[in-house]
Amino acid sequence: MNEFAELVRDLRALPTAAPESLRERVLALGEPVPRRTLPQVSWRRSLVVLVPACAVALVSAAVVHGVLSSGTSPKPQALTSERGVAGEALAPTTRSPFVPPDANRHQDYEASMTVRVKDLDALTDRTNEAMQVARSYGGYVASVQQSTQAGEPGEAYLILRVPVGRVEEAMVRLSDLGTVLARQVSVVDLEQTLRQQRAQILRLKLFIARATEQLKRSLPADVRLRLQLQLQGARDDLARITRANGATLNQAALSHVALTLTTQKAATPVQKSSTGRFERAARDAGSFLAGTGAVGLFLLIVLSPLIAVACAAVVGLRAYRRREERRLLAA
Amino acid sequence: MRAVNAVTSSWPGLQVDRPTFASVAERELDAVHRYLVFLTGNRAVAEDLTGETFEKAFRSWPRFDPRRGTPRAWLCRIARSVALDHFRAEERRRRREERYARGAAEVVSEVLGPSALEAALAQLSPAEREVVALRVLLDLDGPTAARVLGISPTACSTRLSRALKRLEELIDDERVR
Repeated sequence: MNEFAELVRDLRALPTAAPESLRERVLALGEPVPRRTLPQVSWRRSLVVLVPACAVALVSAAVVHGVLSSGTSPKPQALTSERGVAGEALAPTTRSPFVPPDANRHQDYEASMTVRVKDLDALTDRTNEAMQVARSYGGYVASVQQSTQAGEPGEAYLILRVPVGRVEEAMVRLSDLGTVLARQVSVVDLEQTLRQQRAQILRLKLFIARATEQLKRSLPADVRLRLQLQLQGARDDLARITRANGATLNQAALSHVALTLTTQKAATPVQKSSTGRFERAARDAGSFLAGTGAVGLFLLIVLSPLIAVACAAVVGLRAYRRREERRLLAA
Repeated sequence: MRAVNAVTSSWPGLQVDRPTFASVAERELDAVHRYLVFLTGNRAVAEDLTGETFEKAFRSWPRFDPRRGTPRAWLCRIARSVALDHFRAEERRRRREERYARGAAEVVSEVLGPSALEAALAQLSPAEREVVALRVLLDLDGPTAARVLGISPTACSTRLSRALKRLEELIDDERVR
């Protein structure tokens, strides 16, 4: 403004002081009564405080929600679950976890079980114990395969035949050999098969008896020959069906237990319940935050047209007022 | 006896020395009046608007925050708002009069004064006069004056420079007459 120094001096010298009457009027206003009002904070400063505060409150609420909702422990696994997740030890049970056979019916009872043992020495010992268990219940060992190689997990595969009536006890004892990793039971009813076999045997026996009686009488040579052939066939069938019937009864009498003993460690470590609770809390907190975010997003989507209209109105009003000010002050 | 001219805010964490309204009114009355004289170009109107400005400031005083600007800048913003309301009302009145008294001679109100400088000032637009008042007479710095005017500091400087240049030209023209 140096180039306008003289002009500035002249302008400052202009008599523009307020008249005395105005001074008296203004000073007569006195001092406003002090009111306790809330401190004036700009919206930018408010945002700087409010946004982190809201974020902290939201996260705290999510954490509290997660902790509270994880406090209730999950329902225990069903005691009769037949197969555990790979690598996860099945929970010990107070009663037999095996489906018991029906003592009044003939059933084909098949069970398989995988049990983890401590090491190779334990594998041999437990294999022997399993064989003794089968024998102690009146059963026998149908086959044993054991493989132990240095540096590799050892495994023993046993097929045990145990009387059906005592298989449940045997399975409980076998499951005490180590940590049960998996178990499966299959029961097939054999009553229908046995009924059919008995009916066939009875029918064949009747036929054989009648045919034998007829052969004692005098018959034409060709009829006698045909009857003798039929009688022979019936005897063969009777022998076959009788054997099959014996096998079915044997099948119903002895259960088939496939036992695998292994030293292989679980694929995933067994999880403690406390870790599970922490994870549940984190998961619940995360889902709470996600839910809140979804609600916020929904509200934003629903309200966005109104917000856009409001913003446009504010911007338009400001522009209009500025234009009007320029027009008024340009006159 | 020494007058108490400042109090401290009672809000915890907001310990700000806050002047009393009376002391501010006494100190800034001339500045506000000067600004309004320049803005309106009319001493009588400026006097009325100054009174109105201080009444409005009196009512709004609890909302004044010394951390956000000087009392002078705050009063100038109020004065500007009051003046704009006056201009709007004047415009409406003029339109009404034009509608009902078409052809009647326009009453020219008494403006700044008879000197060449005052005559030249009267020919400037209110926008030009107010930037001169704020920057030259009231000694507001560029950013503060720009905030009062609602424009950028660059635009404020440009407007001031053009106003002073035009004022010089008009003064020269007045002297030639």
